[in-house]
Amino acid sequence: MSDAISRILAELSKVLPGETQPERGFALLEAQTRRHFLRSATGGLGAMFLGTLAAPLALSAEQATGEGPARIDISHDPRSPLGVLPPQFAPRAKRVIYLHMAGAPSQLELFEHKPELTRFDGQDCPASLLAGKRFAFLTGVPKLLGAQYPFHQAGQSGQWISDRFPHLERHIDGLCVIRSMRTDQFNHAPAQLLVQTGNPRIGYPSLGSWVVYGLGTENQNLPGFIVLISGGNTPDGGKQLWGTGFLPSVYQGVQCRSHGEPVLYLNPPPRVSAPERRRVLDATEEINQQRFAEFGNPETLTRIAQYEMSFRMQMDATDALDIRKEPDSVRTSYGCKLGESSFANNCLVARRLAERGVRFIQLYHWGWDSHGASARESLNLGFVDRCREVDQPIAALLADLKSRGLLEDTLIVWGGEFGRTSMRENRGGQVMKFVGRDHNPGAFTLWMAGGGVKPGLAFGQTDELGYEVVKDPVEVRDLHATMLYLLGFDHRKLNYPFQGLEQKLTGVKPARVVAEVLA
Amino acid sequence: MNTSLHSPLQRYRFAVVPVLLLLLVTALLLLAPPDGIERGPLLQFVGRFHPLAVHFPIALLFIVPLFEILGRKRNAAFLLPVNFLLMLAAGGAILSAVLGWCLARGGGYSGALIRQHMWGGLLVATASLVCWWLRSRGEAAAPSRPYLALLLLAIVLISFTGYKGGQVAHGETHLTEFLPPPLERWLGPPTPLTSISAVGEGPSTFYGARIQPLFEGHCVTCHGQSKHKAGLRLDSYAGLMRGGKHGPVIKPGDSKSSELFRRITLPQSDDDFMPKDNKKLLSASEVKLIERWIAEGASRTLSAETLAALPGNAPSQDAAAVTFPDIDPAAVVRERTEVAPILSRVQLRLPNIVEYESRTSADLMVNASWRGSKFGDDELAELAALSPSIVTADFSGTAITDRSARVIAAMRKLRLLRLAHTAITDSTIEGLGTLDQLESLSVFDTRVTESSLSVLTRLTNLRRVYAGGSKIPHDVAVPVQVREKLVF
Repeated sequence: MSDAISRILAELSKVLPGETQPERGFALLEAQTRRHFLRSATGGLGAMFLGTLAAPLALSAEQATGEGPARIDISHDPRSPLGVLPPQFAPRAKRVIYLHMAGAPSQLELFEHKPELTRFDGQDCPASLLAGKRFAFLTGVPKLLGAQYPFHQAGQSGQWISDRFPHLERHIDGLCVIRSMRTDQFNHAPAQLLVQTGNPRIGYPSLGSWVVYGLGTENQNLPGFIVLISGGNTPDGGKQLWGTGFLPSVYQGVQCRSHGEPVLYLNPPPRVSAPERRRVLDATEEINQQRFAEFGNPETLTRIAQYEMSFRMQMDATDALDIRKEPDSVRTSYGCKLGESSFANNCLVARRLAERGVRFIQLYHWGWDSHGASARESLNLGFVDRCREVDQPIAALLADLKSRGLLEDTLIVWGGEFGRTSMRENRGGQVMKFVGRDHNPGAFTLWMAGGGVKPGLAFGQTDELGYEVVKDPVEVRDLHATMLYLLGFDHRKLNYPFQGLEQKLTGVKPARVVAEVLA
Repeated sequence: MNTSLHSPLQRYRFAVVPVLLLLLVTALLLLAPPDGIERGPLLQFVGRFHPLAVHFPIALLFIVPLFEILGRKRNAAFLLPVNFLLMLAAGGAILSAVLGWCLARGGGYSGALIRQHMWGGLLVATASLVCWWLRSRGEAAAPSRPYLALLLLAIVLISFTGYKGGQVAHGETHLTEFLPPPLERWLGPPTPLTSISAVGEGPSTFYGARIQPLFEGHCVTCHGQSKHKAGLRLDSYAGLMRGGKHGPVIKPGDSKSSELFRRITLPQSDDDFMPKDNKKLLSASEVKLIERWIAEGASRTLSAETLAALPGNAPSQDAAAVTFPDIDPAAVVRERTEVAPILSRVQLRLPNIVEYESRTSADLMVNASWRGSKFGDDELAELAALSPSIVTADFSGTAITDRSARVIAAMRKLRLLRLAHTAITDSTIEGLGTLDQLESLSVFDTRVTESSLSVLTRLTNLRRVYAGGSKIPHDVAVPVQVREKLVF
């Protein structure tokens, strides 16, 4: 019996760090039936025996190499699970704005200047580039495809950029362009999941969840992790992209609508007054607290926190997401149109959220999958529109953050989920009506700006056809390790015990903080 | 007549079987000695029972003198089973010898240790058989001198053989490894059974200094001078390069196709994995060392410095690698002694406004901007006691006024200060002359004018002044070193 009690107390003290409350333990025991007890007791004996067998296997990598304790203690106050926690060491960035171009924009039309590819435009692709590769649509021997738009060098740093981003070009000396990104996924959903959760399968916490779990969020009247979507579609990876996986669900991303009410049903229905609403919430919380005292399930706390936040959000969320509060000149600089759901509007909202102390702001813009299968999905038409939709807003966002000094501690990340092939897509082995490129996990371009990254840098190198990385490869997990480093974390120590593993954003393969891109 | 003629044979007819078996084992040991080559699984399966079987004759042989003494001193009843015990001991010893041969011949054992253990075992079996014969002939009450001498010899032999067996199974130093130091001094320094470092393998070469010690530490118990399983000896460079019964184990320049490297990098559950049978494992860095050495040609004479200097081994990323500072909780607590009680008091009043900059620091970060108009001069005044520890402060969009100037000016360690969208004026800025750590200042969208710039020129660490939307004109006439810090 005493074993069971101490086990329950240990469980409880995990939930309520620093507290041991014997009376709670007894209350929990009372809630246990004889059958529960017997079942857990037999399981416990078996587990103890198995534990002795498995002990030599249970050593973690850190323990085996003798590197000391492997986890930093993230214990949020259960009454305010989103409260601010200090990072492991002094951070370079305090918040993140991640601009995900869903569908994977072509690096060969934007940042990767490859004159050799242009020279061989229309030639048969050498067999060596095709051997052992899997493609989504390429068949037979495709033709090489040169850049569709002219490139030039820009800024003091002299970085190459195409003519598709004339506004962004003004900020080229502030960008840290990584040309050697690499992934191992060549379909959109798993590749997006890999970029956003560190794992191509569903069920893992997203980047934003990890960050808010580790740091909490400053503004207690807004969610710490907000997601905004444009381009007419949810990204292929679905809502799992801002899911919380095995972390408590209070850390999951909150998708806000970019026009109308930002979050539906925040305001009480007509004829329900605010004090009435408050009384309902108070009663609900009391019941939930009792429930938590009985069972100690952290998800109960999540529920309490969410009721409370939705109440506080009534004012602040509406204000924060309302771009009508901005002067006309600002809206014009972003290219906003009131009342529509656009990337431009979302960029302006992102700035307003960053100013208000939201920790992680995630924008998705859909429609970059330029296969050439239709006008919308082509490099000569749809791609041009996509570029136009994002170019001015991103430039305005960077300018706004810069003029307010926020770029110093805000990390901006722009990128897709993989790259596009150096070959023209030939779906069905035929010359397609529109020009496009297939998926290429072997190389893609991503840029960062702001908090702690080296401005005006072009990092990494691909081969002369822009097909594979030849120098300084940056895996997705390296990017994650670098982002966490900028936010003040050792990616190995920000972990969470689940399924017998110390689960990390960067996974089990060794990840590297790309020190070369740090300012 | 007949009976008298046949009586000795009849009397010892049970002994014929063990004697024949003993002769058979002797013949096997002579004709088919263990040669380091692994053979049929059946032979090995049977052989694996050898360690199990040997304990019976050991125990039985040791109990015989005990019973002989007890029987004489205490109670004659102890003498009754001695004959039977000796018979069992002799039988067990012979069986063990047969099983031992199976194990050694089948399991790929060879070397001096095995030979000593093997012949020792055979002698034990012979001695115990003869003991039994002598004992069953003589009078139980008065044992003959030869019998007693032989029994003593059998005891000595079985101790020796058992010790050698232990060395075969658990390593040559299995008894002396954890010898208490006084005892060790008394016994004298251990004489190493294996001496490896020959010429050219001294510590000046990479092989001698780094590789050979790994083999000595992890491999030579089974692949050494006294025991060379699979015909492989790793106690010398020559043995290593000669390889084993399956051929060479090292392919210079190609670690991936080297059998030795393949086996040490297999999953631990694999049958081929080395080191086998719960022997001490190689660490990841040791494996890496072996991989590098093979990749660079597995040379015997290559010096340690040359290998380190070879291209591809230079730690290319080291220069750019980041280090993660260790957290020393005690030191952090010490540093925070003064600030901690004040901070927890302030945090109760102003939750999520002020927090430590990091887990390793006693410095504080303040962000009040999210409170908007709910944060004013009165709230800011509550931070006064913490002022000396605050390194970044964001009051953008709050209701603070020039009344807070004194509290802000007391934040001597401030590196970053944001006052955007507030009602502060030049009088606050003019008080900032003492903040010599200040690097970044935002007066975006305030009524601050260029007259406050003069005080900022004194701040040598200042890098950026965000002046957009303030009353500072874009073309303000100031010295160029101030001008280039202004961001609009």
